[in-house]
Amino acid sequence: MKKHQYNPDSCIACTSCVAYCPVSAATRKFAGPKMLGPALERFRGGETNTDFSLDYCANCKNCDISCPSGVPISTLNMLARAKQYKNKRRSLLDWMMSHSDIMSKLASPMAALSNFGMANPLTKLILKQVGITDTMSLPKYARKTFLSQFRAFKQQSFPDKVVFFPGCFINYYAPEVGMDLVAVMQKNNLEVIVPEGLDCCGSPLVGKGYLDEAMEKGRKNIAALKSLIDHGIPVLTCCTSCGLMLKMEYQELMDLDHMEKLAANTYDASEFLLERHEQGKLNLDLAPVAGRYIYHTPCHLRAQGIGRPSFDLLSMIPDFQIEAADAGCCGQSGTYGFEVAKHDIAMEIAEPVFQRIKEYHPDFIVSDCSGCRMQLSQGTGFPALHPITILRQSYEGKQS
Amino acid sequence: MKQNDVIVIGGGLAGLFAAITAAKRGRRVLIVTKGVGAIAIGGGSIDMLGYDQAGAPVRNPREALAALGQDHPYSILGQQKVEQAMQEFIALCAAEGYPYMGNLQQNQWIPTALGRVKPTCLTPLTMNAASLKAATEVTVVEFEGLKDYCGKVIVEGLMQCPGYQKKYSVVSVRTDINDGRDLTALDVARWLDSESGQAACFTQIAHCVAPNSVILLPPVLGTQPDYSLLEKIEQATQCKAIETVGLPPAVTGYRLRRMLVNCLSKLNVKLIEQANVLRATLENGRCSGIVTGNLDRERTYRANSFILATGGFFGGGLQAGAGQATEVVFDLPVPAPADPGAWSNESLFFSGSQPFAKFGVQVDARLRPVDAIGQLLLENVFIAGKTLAGYDYCFEKSGNGVALATAYQAGCEA
Repeated sequence: MKKHQYNPDSCIACTSCVAYCPVSAATRKFAGPKMLGPALERFRGGETNTDFSLDYCANCKNCDISCPSGVPISTLNMLARAKQYKNKRRSLLDWMMSHSDIMSKLASPMAALSNFGMANPLTKLILKQVGITDTMSLPKYARKTFLSQFRAFKQQSFPDKVVFFPGCFINYYAPEVGMDLVAVMQKNNLEVIVPEGLDCCGSPLVGKGYLDEAMEKGRKNIAALKSLIDHGIPVLTCCTSCGLMLKMEYQELMDLDHMEKLAANTYDASEFLLERHEQGKLNLDLAPVAGRYIYHTPCHLRAQGIGRPSFDLLSMIPDFQIEAADAGCCGQSGTYGFEVAKHDIAMEIAEPVFQRIKEYHPDFIVSDCSGCRMQLSQGTGFPALHPITILRQSYEGKQS
Repeated sequence: MKQNDVIVIGGGLAGLFAAITAAKRGRRVLIVTKGVGAIAIGGGSIDMLGYDQAGAPVRNPREALAALGQDHPYSILGQQKVEQAMQEFIALCAAEGYPYMGNLQQNQWIPTALGRVKPTCLTPLTMNAASLKAATEVTVVEFEGLKDYCGKVIVEGLMQCPGYQKKYSVVSVRTDINDGRDLTALDVARWLDSESGQAACFTQIAHCVAPNSVILLPPVLGTQPDYSLLEKIEQATQCKAIETVGLPPAVTGYRLRRMLVNCLSKLNVKLIEQANVLRATLENGRCSGIVTGNLDRERTYRANSFILATGGFFGGGLQAGAGQATEVVFDLPVPAPADPGAWSNESLFFSGSQPFAKFGVQVDARLRPVDAIGQLLLENVFIAGKTLAGYDYCFEKSGNGVALATAYQAGCEA
């Protein structure tokens, strides 16, 4: 039974979501979360009426966060989007923006060649015709994926285990974040398990209305994790969008066996370490880390209802200089900012955050979400790190 | 961090101000909230007491406090504490570069989008009621496409208000926002945040207003809690600019919330959003923790004391059932007639106060919950805002006032 029957009538049209929707603030083309979510939902009972402004919703969750009546507005929008595109011909752009896992499987083995291919002007021109912006550089394939590095890495064995769900971005583009996670766990006498058979969490698919395919990914991931969860081994993520999918969106959008158990056992990596601290089990042998840092809270972390665990965790590093940006959404929202039709919206949304970061002039930007790191470092010129990377530096007493 | 000095449940005006007050006393404060609170779309002016219990307009709120029933939150606090809370709020706004004007001895009557005037006590400088009262010539500025703000309606309305028979004209400003969804005051405010918007708007107004007259606008003078746009428009038009009270999303509340949230990060107050507080854990008359529940799991947060600011029926702090009302987090008693018929008057727009509007939790002098016979229920839980019984903020025009005063008291106690 799908856990959540969404009743649009709990919406009292107070306009809080419209006031805090970053896309509505940046473009008039988007009819707004209230209109497209609860209001239009009342008319979707019968045939679907296609409202293409629905495409502008970035599924960033700011509407759900601001709603005083607990209406899951983004979920209504994502379900409507899936319904709208069900068995319809899809553009190449929509397919590419939501199937980066498949493209990466093909392109990543010859990373250097793929990166060269992606970077040259001719490809950029072609991609622009497809609808992908050329004013933003796409992430580079890592020479060795996280999974290949992890398999080659000899971990010290410990009785206490954790499962790591890397997600596509860390696996194909930022494997060092995954290896940093492993190092931090080892410093806390934990052995990391990455089971075979994990796949994309499905977040980009949901974003583009491929809900059936996203459900397939959900089933595959649950099948790969099931026995581990049943043994009560916690599942950690270092990507806030994967975390939100496993913790909440599977239950909000799908009807998968064992999804509640998975959610109950899924942790953001920093959330898990903070809870270890509360149980007195966190390794506090933390060396100082030099530099000025500014922390950006990803919207998909705010949507998890756990505050800012990595900010609290990093604040435990002796005389560590970190400040919270608190300047709003970065606008990237997964692959949203890559699209020509949406890039300007993403940049307009990000403007206050760019300004706040430039004024602070940090050595590094810190954020748990890879999309935010990419957008903010390209938009300000300052390098961006995942909080776990800094924690590893503190444990190892040296900075790369 | 799961261990805190004070946990504030609720992120509306009461929750935010209580957290700031406690943080300023050196407490480690955590706010747990769901939704952005009514303040985010509300009017942002502070109604201390607009009408007395008989519905007559109040001139001097300080004096009118004495006439309130003894179970009204203002009576429980006492006039001196209410005044102190107001001074703290005024000082906070000034320190944040967004000063408010007004005092407890004199209500101000500010114009609304329906051409009436409404009593309030503290307002941002963009709602300077005195300059409207004193004006002889008023130009009402409307924006093409902006719903719920019609110059003619405002002029006709104001003309019927005693003391507001002035020389009115209406100007309609064309914005370059002409496609897409309906226009709200927030959209216009964002347009005016931009240089191009300011230039386009001010020139259109400037050449059709007489200098030293007054311009009446919807609440559109920018989205930031500062007065840069007020200065710019008054400079460009050589007139006094006044924002009326608007319909949601009313930008004046949005700015006040932004200012208060900025304060939180300066005072290292931690904020957890999207956290649905399900219940509390109680140990012999004390609260030891609160439990939040999301789709993944429940989490417990501990503290020495707690401030409950979850609001009334609108905020979700109170819930109504058949013939009984409940307080959601601590399951505190909410006295209500068993016969639902006695909850309200038949006519919706009844001229008096609606009984259900005064439902809430009864408290002692320190705003701690007590039962029907005054027995203390929880010694480390302090209640602020519309979760409290004893006042009808719609009828009295006292919502933000009670929120501030009780938040200040709770913030000092926690």
